[in-house]
Amino acid sequence: MKTTAAAIGDAAWRARQRARRVREWLVQGAAALLLLVVTLGVAHNVAINLEARQIKSGFDFLQAPAGFNIGEVLFEFTARDSYLRAFVAGMANTLRVALAGIVLASLIGVVVGLMRLSHHPLLAGLGAAFVEVFRNVPLLIQLLAIYLLITELLPEASSAISIEGVALLSKEGLQIAVPEAGRDALLYALVAFAIGAAIGMKAARRWLNVGAGLIALATGAVVAAVTWLLAGAAMGWSKPVLDGFLISGGASLTPEFLALWLGLALFTSASIAELVRAGVQAVPAGQWNAALALGMTRGQAMAGAIFPQALRLAIPPLASQYMNLVKNSSLAVVIGYPDLVSIANTSINQNGQALEVIAIIMAVYLSLNLVVAVIMNAVNARVTRPPR
Amino acid sequence: MSMKHLIPAALAISAAAFALPAQAGKTLDAVKARGQVVCGVNTSGPGFSNADSQGRWTGLDVDFCKAVAAAVLSDANKVKFVPLNSQQRFSSLQAGEIDVLSRNSTWTLTRDASLGVLFTGINYFDGQGFMVPKKLKIDTAKKMNGATVCVQAGTTSEKNVADYFGANGMKYKSVVFDTAEAITSAFFAGRCQVYTTDMSDLAGARTKAPNADDYVILPQVISKEPLGPSVRRGDDEWFEIVRWTLFAMLEAEEHGLTQANVDEQKTSNKDPNVQRFLGVSEDTGKLLGLDAAWAHRIVKQVGNYGESFERNLGPKTPVALPRGVNNLWTKGGLMYAPPIR
Repeated sequence: MKTTAAAIGDAAWRARQRARRVREWLVQGAAALLLLVVTLGVAHNVAINLEARQIKSGFDFLQAPAGFNIGEVLFEFTARDSYLRAFVAGMANTLRVALAGIVLASLIGVVVGLMRLSHHPLLAGLGAAFVEVFRNVPLLIQLLAIYLLITELLPEASSAISIEGVALLSKEGLQIAVPEAGRDALLYALVAFAIGAAIGMKAARRWLNVGAGLIALATGAVVAAVTWLLAGAAMGWSKPVLDGFLISGGASLTPEFLALWLGLALFTSASIAELVRAGVQAVPAGQWNAALALGMTRGQAMAGAIFPQALRLAIPPLASQYMNLVKNSSLAVVIGYPDLVSIANTSINQNGQALEVIAIIMAVYLSLNLVVAVIMNAVNARVTRPPR
Repeated sequence: MSMKHLIPAALAISAAAFALPAQAGKTLDAVKARGQVVCGVNTSGPGFSNADSQGRWTGLDVDFCKAVAAAVLSDANKVKFVPLNSQQRFSSLQAGEIDVLSRNSTWTLTRDASLGVLFTGINYFDGQGFMVPKKLKIDTAKKMNGATVCVQAGTTSEKNVADYFGANGMKYKSVVFDTAEAITSAFFAGRCQVYTTDMSDLAGARTKAPNADDYVILPQVISKEPLGPSVRRGDDEWFEIVRWTLFAMLEAEEHGLTQANVDEQKTSNKDPNVQRFLGVSEDTGKLLGLDAAWAHRIVKQVGNYGESFERNLGPKTPVALPRGVNNLWTKGGLMYAPPIR
């Protein structure tokens, strides 16, 4: 049944409502106007001052050759490429570490969260210790510590820790063997993941009726891994080889990436663990009792009844943890990972256009986090059921 | 984003957004009213600007700041040193946080013409080089193909190294840090095979190695790096004072005037150039908005350029750089001051 404003209340009430609406519009309009005036005023003053100080401005520089190199990029980049391409490369690096960080942080976070809920004192204690350590030490310090450990403790490339033909670990980072055409193999694996996950989801719904999402993820991952290995077997492997003081071949994770990835994941996972714990504890005790009364074991009750409900409660705060992780990735500069901010810093110094570059950084982080928000809102809308 | 990186940005934005347009001649008045020259220096550049455990600053760039203070405020100690990293330096100058930037910065066309700053001269002729661990047995820069190179963000070095490797058809992987401290710790830990920056910086960094003999500086110099002080645009009077302070230090060396003998030379030396320089026969200071004894004070309180060089970079210091092209033009170097008359 639909009710309109006109259908309820007497004439005096309706008049008051109209006055309220007019008042609200006026206040909002005045605020918007004020904001506009201040913005224009600042922009005007900026323009005048840049002119007076003879500082170059504008976005023309984006097309100019950057002139510097980037240590690790997802695509080909040379010093002759434009600033624009350098920014895209930096953004890709930010995205890469943020995505990897979100996945790893979620995995660790869920495991540690469940550990803390365990009735086993050793598990619970370990979980608590993990959370307290990683949540309470500033991320900057954690990053510097991890980076120091990697660069100080690992051996030089010439005496790398080696699993013959599979992986090399040294100050140069982690090099692993990958199928010859690495990019194609990844693509096959991705397709395999989608197919595997779909089949897993169907099968789980049909025969198990619980945890379909998790089972789908697991089957997808297994199928993808097998496909990737098969691709390697078919195409041959590109193996990391030590050549003088250099390592060639294979895929490489630099010490900078490893340190940033681990640092972000550990720091954020401590908060995620607490969200998981809070979510589980917020599920009414009656749900536990009901599940156990039906003859489920504690494990089954957790997986089938409690965890899905806990997840629902945890998703909105989880979204803000993910956004924090994306923003925190800008700490990359202290350990030399070429993320967006690092590249922007270099650009500012090469061309001196701080205002423009800072505006670009802000726009990129804003957009990235809006994307995270949209995705997490969609997930939230999907898992939230209307109250019964 | 850490605070450290917000600072230059915030400076630039607030300067551009809220400050009034700069007016000529204002810097000198502000410095006199404040009773202090605010001078931007390197956070850590052995021989150029370095703070000891008591917070006392020493170095070639530091001496230059002191010389400006001696000329303008009659006291070489009336300087406030602001340590800046390579990314903050020009923003800080643009924003008016400092009066002079004396922080081994390379004079280039882009910087001079588009950053709203002007270089006043060259106080050290440098060039970019490479340092490598001895055990790698690399004796020439041409053998560095594929190496991992540590370099500081926002420096001319970052561009030069790209040019050099590109021109020689070699590949490299760069690891870019935002402070010199981060680079030296990563380099000495073995993260990079090569550390590239100005030769003078390399010599300074080498003194901080656990064992300096484990590292060699390669002979190749791949760029011109004329280092010098700079000031904000739009204040010609202040620009002239800073420019001629450096010339005065060079001129003093040319005439053999030192911290020790300048008082005695003032009366005994009858060379008209010296008489004019020390303000005995003519008042050159008036034209700069200073007094007649401005140059005398620079020599008396700070010393001539050669003295400053020996004290901070010379063979008796840990940095131990040869005078080389930084000698006076009369001794086969490039240092040359226009006549002070």
